[in-house]
Amino acid sequence: MAIINVSAGDEAVLSIGDSAANANVSAGAGLTVPYIQDITVNNSTGVFRWKTLDNTAESAVTTPATNQLSLNLVVDTDAFFGSSNADLVVNDGIYGCSTNKRRVYFRVHFDGTDTGSKFISGSGFISGLAPTTNMDAPVWVTPVTIEVDGDYSTVGTI
Amino acid sequence: MAVRDTLKANLDVALASTSVGVSAELPFSSAGEPLYVKNMKFVYLDEDNISKEELFNTLDNNDIAQTTTTVTGYLAVDAKTQPTDIDTVVSAIINSRQAVSGQSTRECAMSTDIEADVLIYTFNFNFITI
Repeated sequence: MAIINVSAGDEAVLSIGDSAANANVSAGAGLTVPYIQDITVNNSTGVFRWKTLDNTAESAVTTPATNQLSLNLVVDTDAFFGSSNADLVVNDGIYGCSTNKRRVYFRVHFDGTDTGSKFISGSGFISGLAPTTNMDAPVWVTPVTIEVDGDYSTVGTI
Repeated sequence: MAVRDTLKANLDVALASTSVGVSAELPFSSAGEPLYVKNMKFVYLDEDNISKEELFNTLDNNDIAQTTTTVTGYLAVDAKTQPTDIDTVVSAIINSRQAVSGQSTRECAMSTDIEADVLIYTFNFNFITI
C-alpha cells in the first residue's frame, strides 16, 4: 500500500498514438504529451433507481459509464500543431487530431513508465480544445478532453 | 542588457533638452546623504531586482516561470523652486518604461516625499516577462 506521489515530474504521464502499440511509451513512436497542468480520468456511470412498496429505501443499479480524460496543458507548438512523423497522431498534433476527428489511442501512466508501473489505456477522440491566452499569463493554455470510445482497457502493467 | 541600462539609455535621450540630467551612478549614500539629494536635478536608477515566480506548474516539471524585474529611480528637486519643466520630466521618466521591450507588463508608479526643502520623486518600475 502506497500513495502515488507525482512530484518527481515523470510519474503522471499521458502518451497518445495512432495505435495501441504506438501509445506505448516504450515503443517511442507516439507522443508523450508535454506541459500537462492537471489530468482527470473520468469513469462516471449513470444510475437507475426504483422504489418498491416492500422496501424503505430505493434500489439502484448502475448504467453504462461515460469515460473521459480531461486535462489542461500549456500549448507546445509541435505537440499541438504536429510535426512530421509516421505516427498520424504525432503528425497531426492535438489540434489536427481534433479537427480531423482522428481516433487516438492513449495510456495514462499513474506512477511512471518503468517496469511494473500502472496505466489505464483506451481509445477515443480529442474534443474540447479552447486555447486561450492573455497578457497576465502570456502563454497559450488549453483544456483537452479525450472522449473515450467504450471501456477503458484493463489496468495494465508495463 | 539590464533593464536599468535600457531605462538609462532612454532617459539620456528623453531628458537631454530638459533641466534634469541622468546619473550613471547608483543611488548610494555618501556621508549619510543619498547622492540624489546631494546632486539634485539628476535622475538616479537603482540596480535591477529580479524574482522568478511559477506561472504554471506542469506534471512533467517543465514549469513555466515568469520573471519580475523591479527598478527604482530617484529624482530630487528644490521643493520651493521646482524646475519649470518638472511635469515634462516626470512624464518622460514614467514613459521610459515603454523602452523596455519583450515585457507583458510595463508599469511605473510615482510617489513624492518632502524632506526639509527637498522634494524627492520616487519611481518604481515593474516589468514582467516569461
